[in-house]
Amino acid sequence: MKWKHKDLLDLENLTAEEIKHILQTAIPMKEILRRPIKKLPTLRGKSVVLLFYEPSTRTRTSFESAAKILGADTTNFSVVQSSVNKGESLLDTAKTLQAMNVDLVIVRHSSSGSAEFLADVLNAGVINGGDGQHAHPTQALLDYFTIQDRLGSFEGKKIVIVGDILHSRVARSNVLGLKKLGAEVALVGPPTLLPPEMSYLGVKTSHDLDRELPGADVVMALRLQLERQQSGLFPSIREYSKLYGLNQERIQRTEKDTIVMHPGPMNRGVEIASDLADSVQSVIEEQVTNGVAVRMALIYLLIGGGVAHVVD
Amino acid sequence: MEGTPKNRIMDEDGIRRAISRISHEIVEKNKGTENLVLVGIRTRGVPLAERIQKRIAEFENVLLPIGLLDITLYRDDLSTIDVQPVIHETKVSFSLEGKTVILVDDVLFTGRTARAALDALIDLGRPQKIQLAVLIDRGHRELPIRADYVGKNVPTSRREIISVCLEETDRNEEVLLLEKTTS
Amino acid sequence: MLWIKNVTVIDPAQDLSGLRDVLVQEGKISAIGENFQVRDVQTILGIEQIEKVKQIEGTGKYLFPGLIDVHVHLREPGQENKEDIRSGSRAAVRGGFTSILAMANTAPVIDQRALAEFVRLQGQRAGMARVYPVAAVTKGFKGQELVEMMDIRAGGAVGFSDDGKGIQNAEMMRLALEYAKMTGCPIISHCEDSDLAGSGSMRRGEVSARLGLRGIPASAESVMVARDVLLAGETGGKIHIAHVSTKQSVEIIRTAKAMGIDVTCEVNPHHLLFTDQDVTLTGTSLKVNPPLPSEEDQDALLQGLADGTIDMLATDHAPHTWEEKAKPFAEAPFGINALETVLAAVWQNLATGGKLTSEQVVKLWSVNPARRFGLAGGTLQTGAAADMVLFDSEYRETVTADSLESKAQNTPFLGKELKGFPIMTWVGGRLVMENRKIIPQK
Repeated sequence: MKWKHKDLLDLENLTAEEIKHILQTAIPMKEILRRPIKKLPTLRGKSVVLLFYEPSTRTRTSFESAAKILGADTTNFSVVQSSVNKGESLLDTAKTLQAMNVDLVIVRHSSSGSAEFLADVLNAGVINGGDGQHAHPTQALLDYFTIQDRLGSFEGKKIVIVGDILHSRVARSNVLGLKKLGAEVALVGPPTLLPPEMSYLGVKTSHDLDRELPGADVVMALRLQLERQQSGLFPSIREYSKLYGLNQERIQRTEKDTIVMHPGPMNRGVEIASDLADSVQSVIEEQVTNGVAVRMALIYLLIGGGVAHVVD
Repeated sequence: MEGTPKNRIMDEDGIRRAISRISHEIVEKNKGTENLVLVGIRTRGVPLAERIQKRIAEFENVLLPIGLLDITLYRDDLSTIDVQPVIHETKVSFSLEGKTVILVDDVLFTGRTARAALDALIDLGRPQKIQLAVLIDRGHRELPIRADYVGKNVPTSRREIISVCLEETDRNEEVLLLEKTTS
Repeated sequence: MLWIKNVTVIDPAQDLSGLRDVLVQEGKISAIGENFQVRDVQTILGIEQIEKVKQIEGTGKYLFPGLIDVHVHLREPGQENKEDIRSGSRAAVRGGFTSILAMANTAPVIDQRALAEFVRLQGQRAGMARVYPVAAVTKGFKGQELVEMMDIRAGGAVGFSDDGKGIQNAEMMRLALEYAKMTGCPIISHCEDSDLAGSGSMRRGEVSARLGLRGIPASAESVMVARDVLLAGETGGKIHIAHVSTKQSVEIIRTAKAMGIDVTCEVNPHHLLFTDQDVTLTGTSLKVNPPLPSEEDQDALLQGLADGTIDMLATDHAPHTWEEKAKPFAEAPFGINALETVLAAVWQNLATGGKLTSEQVVKLWSVNPARRFGLAGGTLQTGAAADMVLFDSEYRETVTADSLESKAQNTPFLGKELKGFPIMTWVGGRLVMENRKIIPQK
């Protein structure tokens, strides 16, 4: 199939076929990660800028490794060491990047739509590394890769996502693609974190985790921003953990060899118990490895290709 | 690339005989099968390597380890080609350390694929030797690369195309010389 | 002296819709009649030489009393990079508005007589639309102490409003309504509960959830509307609710009117033309406060206009520089640039679409605002100030940055063609705009 996107901003405008193509491309990439020499000449001379307005060592490192393994040069443009602190607008930063003639910009920003904003301004490709509460497509793709690796397929698989759905770009992106891939998704969380308007996603929503667990093939816990408690969205960490925290005993309710996922970083003992996070059911570390492979695949697809690949 | 058939260079028997001869030459040149491994370059180098493996097993009673190599990520023309190639997995599940690697491909032309394959192989480990086996050598080298084992040397012009068809990948067995159709 | 011939006059104040001739002398309407002859004109105007009278052929055009916009942000003093009184009042007459009410959220806030007089004076210097200052309710918009309402009114203020922010403290609002009774001017309430609105940037609902934008619930407006009409009822004060945008607000106001509370309200055309479904992550020209409504809300707003619950249209013209709007949605400021495009947009989408009659448009944008705020204009009756708009419903124009008199371009219609524009505007009988161009004043 012919890849025709300049950017990856969201999974909304990718077809199931395109998602599968990314996952397929990530398989050989994962093989490369197992080699003693993890370095390819593929993107030699290409420049990738990591524009991170939110601190995220995990995501940034993952992208950086991916780009470097493929042979690209990476530049960190992170908030602490740049003119961003001096109040330079995203637009001016974009113009600066344009003038530097970079090939690919990976952006993480606290405002929804910031990646799309950059993509509109820049000739370079843009990968959304997480924008506000809107989308985090590479996290979703690495989750799919992990699920596919473990379960083989998505058709008819039951996937439960539990936690702060309202504020989660991970949940939003995940649901969009999982629906396209044919999985059955249930979202679980307290009403304040899973309000009625989330119905736009068109999947089942519930406030009762124990009722949703039976039959689940995958349970994904989302990171709980602990400061949400201070803004009154739930009464206490203790009650949240009691109602929505995953642990060994609770996961038995699925009555299946369910895999347990978490986008990280975890609040151990809050949304997930330590023993479960470190158990054989947990694929949390694999998610990290797969993250690099999937990001390599994407970077290759976006800037490794032929002259005519930018058509959208 | 499309073309109009001009000449049939090899038929099924021809291919079989060429593989058989290459297999014997490999064993002869390396004085046995010790430390020999086969690596096929995707796509058509893979079935050819498998056939060599099978043939050697028939007369030497040894099944050589076999690996497959996808050289896409090592190509030097990625930024100039039109349609982005799909990447397949490289599978070399044994150590290359101290081994003699027989790299297998269908056609040797400019030498750029072989160059990419050498780079890819060296990234996987440090073999003692690398030898190249090809079904067809059509000339027009752009790099200082030569094949150690050649099924058939075919003088061609640059306007011509060599099309290798194998049962495993193309459902028929033959090697054709085509004339490029200019569109 | 002016003789506009054979034009369709729409003047709801005297229940007039039909082909008429209109005569203007000394800045006032001197006569309206059917099919005047030269001799009639000479008699009425008391002149011999008909050449002294400028004659305008009005066939196929409409003549409206000049439109009055009770809600514009002119940004002067303090934010002249966005707009100033000169550019804003030029934009106004180009859009068919002969009177505008300038909101007080400038820097400094208009909370003293001297500042109100400055706004009025700058308006006079510009010589375009009549500019009436709206003063703050509380000093510095802090919500703590009332401004000197009587003194500021003497300086020209025609209303009081902490628009842009709203008054969070109910007791402060109650006191304002009570004290303002002396002035005879309405309190214009920007109804927004700041806790409910939070840091939201669009209406809370499925679209905000999908875009991952923080939502502002409809209740952030409606609870304040309920509070304010109850306080107006209790105090006997006079309240005008700015930019009503929710179904519940319309229902509350309808009930309040039935209870005899002295309440009027306005709706912004953009709330009638767009819904939250039109919001995109990079379409910041549609980032407005109150946010674009749901479809259900929009239906309720149109219903409110139809049954008279909503008294007037007002633009909430809020210019911002290009750079300020060239940001991710959540970071861009609220506001839409409206004065020069809004009449065409309303005409094309609502009047032509059958949702409003031309009489309603004039009533909502001229007669009612004049009456509520006690302003000149609003009618073409004999003796009234000749604030008039000659409107060509067939005139097409593509909106471009160069064509706009406003300093800002934050309009969703930029680059688009609209149909139905004013082609001449008079303020007090002075021609200030002709063929979409401003006429420089001596």
